[in-house]
Amino acid sequence: MLKELLVEISASNYISKTQLAAKLQRPVGLIADGIVQLVRLGYLAEGQGLEDCDAHCAKCPYASLCIGNAIHTLSITAAGERFLQGQ
Amino acid sequence: MSKIIALVGNPNSGKTTLFNALTGANHHVGNWPGVTVERKEGQFRFGGDVYTVVDLPGIYSLGAFSEDEMVARDFILSGEPDVVINVVDATNIERNLYLTTQLLEMGAKVVVALNMVDEASSLSMSFDTETLAKRLGAPVVPTVASKRKGLDDLVAKAVELMQASPQGRKQPLSYGESVDVQVTRLQEVLAGKKLAYPERWVAVKLLEGDAHVRSMVQASLTSHELQEFERVYSELAAHGSDLALEIVDGRYRFVHSVTNGAVNRPKEQVLTLTDHLDRVLTHKYWGLPLFALIMFTVFQLTFALGQDVFGEWVAEGVGLVGGALDGLLLRMNAPEWLRAYTAEGLVGGVGAVLEFIPLIVILYTLMGLLEDSGYMARAAYVMDNTMRSVGLQGKTFVPLIVGFGCNVPGVMATRTLENRRDRMIAILINPFMSCGAKIPIYLAFIAAFFPAHGAVVMFSLYVLGILVALLMGKILGNTLFKGEVSHFLMELPPYRIPTIRNVVRNMWDNVAGFLVRAGTVIFLVISLLWVLAVLPGGVEPYGSESVLGRIGTLIAPIFAPAGFGNWQASVGLFSGIAAKEAVVATLGMVYAGVEEGVELISALQGAFTPLTALSFMIMTLLYTPCVATLATIRKETGSAKWALFSAIYSFGIGWLGAVLVFQVGRLLGVG
Repeated sequence: MLKELLVEISASNYISKTQLAAKLQRPVGLIADGIVQLVRLGYLAEGQGLEDCDAHCAKCPYASLCIGNAIHTLSITAAGERFLQGQ
Repeated sequence: MSKIIALVGNPNSGKTTLFNALTGANHHVGNWPGVTVERKEGQFRFGGDVYTVVDLPGIYSLGAFSEDEMVARDFILSGEPDVVINVVDATNIERNLYLTTQLLEMGAKVVVALNMVDEASSLSMSFDTETLAKRLGAPVVPTVASKRKGLDDLVAKAVELMQASPQGRKQPLSYGESVDVQVTRLQEVLAGKKLAYPERWVAVKLLEGDAHVRSMVQASLTSHELQEFERVYSELAAHGSDLALEIVDGRYRFVHSVTNGAVNRPKEQVLTLTDHLDRVLTHKYWGLPLFALIMFTVFQLTFALGQDVFGEWVAEGVGLVGGALDGLLLRMNAPEWLRAYTAEGLVGGVGAVLEFIPLIVILYTLMGLLEDSGYMARAAYVMDNTMRSVGLQGKTFVPLIVGFGCNVPGVMATRTLENRRDRMIAILINPFMSCGAKIPIYLAFIAAFFPAHGAVVMFSLYVLGILVALLMGKILGNTLFKGEVSHFLMELPPYRIPTIRNVVRNMWDNVAGFLVRAGTVIFLVISLLWVLAVLPGGVEPYGSESVLGRIGTLIAPIFAPAGFGNWQASVGLFSGIAAKEAVVATLGMVYAGVEEGVELISALQGAFTPLTALSFMIMTLLYTPCVATLATIRKETGSAKWALFSAIYSFGIGWLGAVLVFQVGRLLGVG
């Protein structure tokens, strides 16, 4: 399942767990777990969040804006790309 | 001595509920030795015997990724528990059985408590527990721990299993032929060695790259055995770089083979409302126009509500406060200069900024609604294709969105871009975003010259900022920062109904920031400029002969080709480098001081034409960022050179844009 999941992710423009679940005919919970496994195994990398950007601008009156737009991103790592090329 | 039962399961599988149901109040809490992980232990009686239950931490797998996993794994492998009860959430059985698979790999005696079957039943799920048990090679007992259902059966099975000979699947789990061969080879090398754990499990873990198990093996072997082991291990590792993936995938295949046909769930409506909405809102062709339409509607509503409905109230309020303050100072026999400073500096300057608060409240409330609904993540995605077409990655749009609030956190948000090329470009184009501090400038000029087309002008300025940012991104990417665009995938969160609390908090964060700046930076800038506007003594205050007037007159020729080469506009732009809101405050002060009672809007109508107003707005949109942003650029790039570059190149672009608009407009006979 992980291999198929990685292939599907690389072919997607964005990550929607429900759409991946529909394509792979697996429950959404399992897809979520699969993404965690791919991150653990080093095939996907999670993007750094914006949560820590207010650490150095706490005195700025707009500091609270730092945490307002957290968008979760994933990228395919070199190991992931290498694996996909071998598919 | 009582027999020991270990409880293992995923977080939220109902494991602790089962523990409490079995032990009641008869338990105590401590820590596992050497770690901060909590150890819960309790006892219960069954069939006249006393059993000890150890509640292990909630985990998803038995790797070596966390202390929780290590504690659970070590405890099970230690042989201390006589049986393991694996609590499985029936509603999410496929995911939970991954852990079960790992327990079986260890050769542990496992009873599966298929928990929350009532909830699964309400989701129309059904289970063939006999088939599941047969395929797993372990008893499966349906339970509802919260209602104490199935617990006697579960404990009876556990006790029965304790007395049985060591469990183990007749056929070990297969990870695919190529991996199985390597597991067997490593197993042969480890055979007969004094290892604390089962050989096959150790072999699998080694091929998974488990550093903890590897150290354990290295410590257990003699130097000759170690040499042989390292030789075979390096050979296998060199041949199979994706072994860990194959092994994990093998477990998922096993789970699928166990549940296939034995777990029945209704044909799920797999595509949610979010997916259906996304088909429209993130559409390849319609996504961007829809984003533009939504933003235009936001501005339209902002002007309709903020200006027409509430705008007058605050303007009148500022006027009343100014009048009351002046009356108070008059009664107190305050010196003339203090009355002048209050009326022209504070009320004329800072008050001019505060008059736009209703529009800012409405704008940020609407933006908060979009953000809290999950749409802004789509905006970033919709922009992704456009960003990529000019050689920028879509994620660059995230700091740009933050820059719509303030460029300082916008520049800081570029830290999320791992690639230096992407980051430098994102930093240098961020100041072209229409930050909150620029809004009062637009609002003042819109109120003076384009009251009927406020939303169109405002929307155009936002779009222009984005277009200039994209163009500059393309130019910078092809010149100073050449390189490949890195590829990211955004996870789009589900849509949700915005909560009043979040929307109000978002709005308040922005308005509070605006008020704080009005009371600090703007106040200080205006106070300083007021002093310069009335000095030296003997000249006409706010005149061209004042210090401020002379400074403005000196720099005014630079802006003459853009159509606003007067000293007041020049001083306004100059003060905007301290803080953008100061542009309006300064214009308010210098025009209010010329003639008593003159309001900013009518003063602007006298000093600008619609065309010069437009070129002035474009200049303020694009020119040199404020000092706080420049300081942040210096800090984030680690170089004053880039801050200076940003200050100069953006000034040039702003000037060019303003001149272009004015000259083309003049040629076309506009204004």
